[in-house]
Amino acid sequence: MLQVACVFLPLLGAIIAGCFGRKIGDRASQIVCCLAMGTSAVLAIPTFIDVALHGNARTILLFEWFASGDFHAPWALKFDTLSSVMVLTVTVVATAIHVYSVGYMSHDKSIPRFMAYLNLFTFFMLTLVTADNFMQLFFGWEGVGLVSYLLIGFWFDRHSASAASMKAFLVNRVGDLGFALGIMGVFILFGSVEFDTVFPLVPGKVGESMEFMGFHGDALTLVCLLLFVGAMGKSAQIILHTWLPDAMEGPTPVSALIHAATMVTAGVYMVCLLSPMFEVAPVARDIVTVIAATIGLVQNDIKRVIAYSTCSQLGYMFFAVGVSAYPAAIFHLMTHAYFKALLFLGAGSVIHAMSDEQDMRKMGGIWRKIPFTYAMMWIGSLALAGIPFFAGFYSKDMIIESAWGAGTGVGQYAFVMGVVAAALTAFYSWRLIFMTFHGKPRADHHTMEHVHESPPVMLAPLAFLSLGAIFAGFIAYETFVGHHMAEFWRGSILILPQHPSMEHAHEAPLWLKLMTIVVAAGGILAAYYAYMVKTSLPARLATMFRPVYLFLYNKWYFDELYNFLFVRPAVRIGRLLWKGGDGVIIDGLGPNGLAAVTVGLARRAGRLQTGYVYHYAFAMLIGLVGLVTWYLFYGRL
Amino acid sequence: MYAFNVASLIPALPEIFMAISGMVLLMVGVFRGDRSTRAVSWAVVAVFIVTAFLISRVSGPGVLTFDGMFIADGFAVFMKQLALAGSALALIMSIGFNEREGIARFEFPILFLYATLGMMLMISANDLLALYVGLELQSLCLYVVAAYRRDDLRSSEAGLKYFVLGALSSGMLLYGMSMVYGFAGTTRFDTLFEVLSSSEVGVPVGVLVGLVFIAAGLAFKVSAVPFHMWTPDVYEGAPTPVTAFFAAAPKVAATALLVRVMIGPFGAMFDQWQQIIVFVSLASMALGAFAAINQSNIKRLMAYSSIGHIGYALVGLAAGDKAGVGGLLVYMTIYVAMGIGTFACILCMRRKGRMVENISDLSGLARTNPALALAFAIFMFSMAGIPPLAGFFGKFFVFKAAIQAGLYTLAIIGVLTSVVAAFYYLRIVKVMYFDEPAEALERPVGTTLTVVIGATALFTLLLVVNPGPLLSGAAVAAVSLFGG
Amino acid sequence: MIIYAIAFYLFAAVAVASGTMVVAARNPVHSVLFLILAFFNAAALFVLMGAEFLAMVLIIVYVGAVAVLFLFVVMMLDINFAELRQGFMRYLPVGALIGLVLLAELILIGGTWVFSPDAEIAISDKFYMSGEVTNAHALGLVLYTKYAYLFQTAGLVLLVAMIGAIVLTFRSRPGVRRQKISAQVGRRVEDSVELRKVKSREGV
Repeated sequence: MLQVACVFLPLLGAIIAGCFGRKIGDRASQIVCCLAMGTSAVLAIPTFIDVALHGNARTILLFEWFASGDFHAPWALKFDTLSSVMVLTVTVVATAIHVYSVGYMSHDKSIPRFMAYLNLFTFFMLTLVTADNFMQLFFGWEGVGLVSYLLIGFWFDRHSASAASMKAFLVNRVGDLGFALGIMGVFILFGSVEFDTVFPLVPGKVGESMEFMGFHGDALTLVCLLLFVGAMGKSAQIILHTWLPDAMEGPTPVSALIHAATMVTAGVYMVCLLSPMFEVAPVARDIVTVIAATIGLVQNDIKRVIAYSTCSQLGYMFFAVGVSAYPAAIFHLMTHAYFKALLFLGAGSVIHAMSDEQDMRKMGGIWRKIPFTYAMMWIGSLALAGIPFFAGFYSKDMIIESAWGAGTGVGQYAFVMGVVAAALTAFYSWRLIFMTFHGKPRADHHTMEHVHESPPVMLAPLAFLSLGAIFAGFIAYETFVGHHMAEFWRGSILILPQHPSMEHAHEAPLWLKLMTIVVAAGGILAAYYAYMVKTSLPARLATMFRPVYLFLYNKWYFDELYNFLFVRPAVRIGRLLWKGGDGVIIDGLGPNGLAAVTVGLARRAGRLQTGYVYHYAFAMLIGLVGLVTWYLFYGRL
Repeated sequence: MYAFNVASLIPALPEIFMAISGMVLLMVGVFRGDRSTRAVSWAVVAVFIVTAFLISRVSGPGVLTFDGMFIADGFAVFMKQLALAGSALALIMSIGFNEREGIARFEFPILFLYATLGMMLMISANDLLALYVGLELQSLCLYVVAAYRRDDLRSSEAGLKYFVLGALSSGMLLYGMSMVYGFAGTTRFDTLFEVLSSSEVGVPVGVLVGLVFIAAGLAFKVSAVPFHMWTPDVYEGAPTPVTAFFAAAPKVAATALLVRVMIGPFGAMFDQWQQIIVFVSLASMALGAFAAINQSNIKRLMAYSSIGHIGYALVGLAAGDKAGVGGLLVYMTIYVAMGIGTFACILCMRRKGRMVENISDLSGLARTNPALALAFAIFMFSMAGIPPLAGFFGKFFVFKAAIQAGLYTLAIIGVLTSVVAAFYYLRIVKVMYFDEPAEALERPVGTTLTVVIGATALFTLLLVVNPGPLLSGAAVAAVSLFGG
Repeated sequence: MIIYAIAFYLFAAVAVASGTMVVAARNPVHSVLFLILAFFNAAALFVLMGAEFLAMVLIIVYVGAVAVLFLFVVMMLDINFAELRQGFMRYLPVGALIGLVLLAELILIGGTWVFSPDAEIAISDKFYMSGEVTNAHALGLVLYTKYAYLFQTAGLVLLVAMIGAIVLTFRSRPGVRRQKISAQVGRRVEDSVELRKVKSREGV
């Protein structure tokens, strides 16, 4: 009962705020939504203790959703260690963000709509993580995608926002197609979409092959890859990552909630959940690792720094998954949720202070005016860069060590990429801090006068999240990824004994630990040198290596590439089909021709209806005689 | 001799309760006069609810009573409750309308009650004679309520046309029954089935022709082509709540009857009657799609729409198996919800205290009354069969059954006609959302109407969330019909 | 037996012929009179089958009440039947064709008619057909037992018919003085009659 309330309270809040928001007013909507979310978070705590710590995993069957032939899909809430960790993380972070939004969106015109969306999003996220079958997973999956679209385009009167929301939706569609195909593949392969039925069958299906678009391939690898395409779309992995930076058009709390802490990690969650399948599909895992490690380097764009850092952090999680370090991935997912949300909300607080200015180049020198936010940004960045004893240190180190410990070729590749990415992360994090808070003020006089600390309702969530960013790693390290982690996960995650990357990670030599720290510190120092000491350096470098700079500045030309490869041809094909195919052939023969016929038929059918009773009676008799005649001559079977 | 004990009446208890309550309420009305109309109306609604409850209590697997003339099985429970729901909603909608139009009289709810009682008897009929009296009880009430607004020429005309053509169809029905009786020597459904399926001499053409006559008589009641001609005129002429009633409850009862007669006594002649149903279904789908396009009156349009919907429902019967009948039941349930909802919306079309009925009167409704326009649009989209609304499921299940039964042509033509039909449903949406606003409709629309619209719209919208109970309920009902 | 057959074909032929005349007659009053003739012949057919009760009921109800009512309505309504019939000739060819087709088909069916062997078994209640009890008695025995359901439902149909007739035709116009039977019955002599002694040659 607790658990059901935990999942459905946000939906209730969304319905109340969404349907009756205008009636009950802004304030009441905020209260209702925050209350629903807060209660849900409070309920998640005993659930977590009961399920994860005391080991009472359970599945609550709500009702049958689909039953069509062999195809069954119930509505059920599955609570095991994995999902209860997710529920706890999602609800806690979401609560902080809800409270923050009260302050951040206080001047907006449509507060109830915003709060309703936030609540709705959390509901979908919770159904996603508590799914006990693929259909429900897909429902939550599509639901968060939908609300993400709504929230990115929340300020729909801005052209850039609606364009960004469309882009996010379309790119996600590509991933979702893969996901849907993956689910169909699962059904074909296993004859069921329920996890509890599918997973035990996995070992028996190793080596079976399946045909897909004319290719024969290993069935499990194929299914896993298709599912991973879905994860790539949602978790913004390379190839399908282009939507995420644009998604920052949405209000800042949205970026924090959806595009940092929760939704984008759904892909990671999904792969961990399906660990029994991925474990036996080594090729799929290798591809995951390579793709994920590569994204670590796509982070160098300077405009949407935090967004790109999300890409790279997700990359960490995915290559952890790829080397079978699922607990490490979930661990990083959790710590990341805290510190990334903290960074986003801190950035939001800065934007708020700077009268809605988002461009870093127009900031600077404001650290004295907003000391609290400044401190928070430091904590977030320290955690992000993996400086010892902050949350990020524990989880990120674990991942890098696991990559090292995997002892495979792709593992080594991931390891190198991870270390390089750690340096770069540190570099751009401090670049952000230095550019925003230090140096000469670059904003105009008027704005600078108005710089002020945010209201307490925004600062309190920051403080709360900063606790998470500092302590979450330290507290949870032993439980999540320590030597006895198997007792904690209790079979909700499967790691085959052949993949002992985590075991090896525990025995990682000291130089490895030190190296990551040194690399991070190096990044920080480089940033200090470039942006504090020798401020002309970046500009000089940019002119010296102009092609490289432009390449990075334009995000590896991914957008242009897609534009050239997909969008323009699609438009051209569309135009051809529209003008030639549709206009001439189909319209000519179809709608226009057919429409003319239809209109003619319609007129004739209407004329039958004369209004005279004897005509009607006559029609009935003709029908009757016609039927009788038919049976007399043809119907004698 | 025929022993007659009170316990044997129990399966018919809901119907007996209805009949007696009707008489009591009639007395109340007679002595209190038209002041009591509102009270009597709500009392009738209460009677419907109690009856629905009783029905679920007294039924069992094929309980027979009255010497086997009356059957209370799972199929009857499903259809009766559906018919009761349709009647109750239509009656609730009529209260405000009749008062506004100054035609509120206490006989109106009583006639609804007896019409509904007639439906109950039809659904439970297990004998050709029982079928006939139930049908007549229902029809007679319907003739009267169609002409209920007696000072209005169109209403009187509607009632009279319905009566004359209804009498003709009853004649066909009786003629067919007499032929069947002449061959088999019985009118009981179960005995008929035995006689027809075990007959060594083979079923003669005469019985086949009798079956055609019976099918024709019943097709008239469900307004299937070519026995549909009364429908547009009656729908247009009758007062709007009465039209809503016509579109919902009697259709349910008549389809139930058609299904029971075809599957039950004539089950052994499936190969023969399947051809009739296929033809009638095709013709109805096609006419419902094409003839509605040129209509400008929304009630007339709904008449053609209902003809089309019956065509789709009959696709399920044409399949003739459990899946098909289950699909038909699902279809009828969804159809009733959508139909009642749409008519509730039409009842909101008032301007300066008068009803308006033209599609052009809806122009720009999205701007003058967005909530109503939204509800209307939901119903239209659902009727057009656009997923994930309820209407899609109805079509999906009947077509699925048809394809499984190998009726590919029927399914394909059905899908094609539903595309044509989507044209006029979407045209209404277009008029509401993209045309220049006409003069605003009168507001507020009234609490009862709001509740009816809201409930049916939610049902249409949210069925996708949990279609389980409806699907399994329909499946159980269908299975009980096949004696399983 | 031969007399029976002759009587049957005579009555049947007259019934069909008068049925045709109901439709074909130019004068509506004649139509109704032919209708009455058809009823009489049908009653005679009932008598031939031994169903004398039904025969009497047919005459009393249909001839005595229904047909006479028709006659009144036809004579009282001022309808120009000639005008109504104008369309008749236009539709005659098609109508006749359909009618002939149906007729031919029904004759064909009649020719191939068989009774199911099970029909004998299915027809129960042979007791009432054996002639041991009178028609009315036999009817009464089944009507209130076996067919009680139909009987009661038919009663409901009549009730609805009554309600319907009242709903559609009864109206209380203002300014029309209506008979108040209860008031009339309840009147007493004292209320309306005053007895006075009138002296002679004085007036009241």
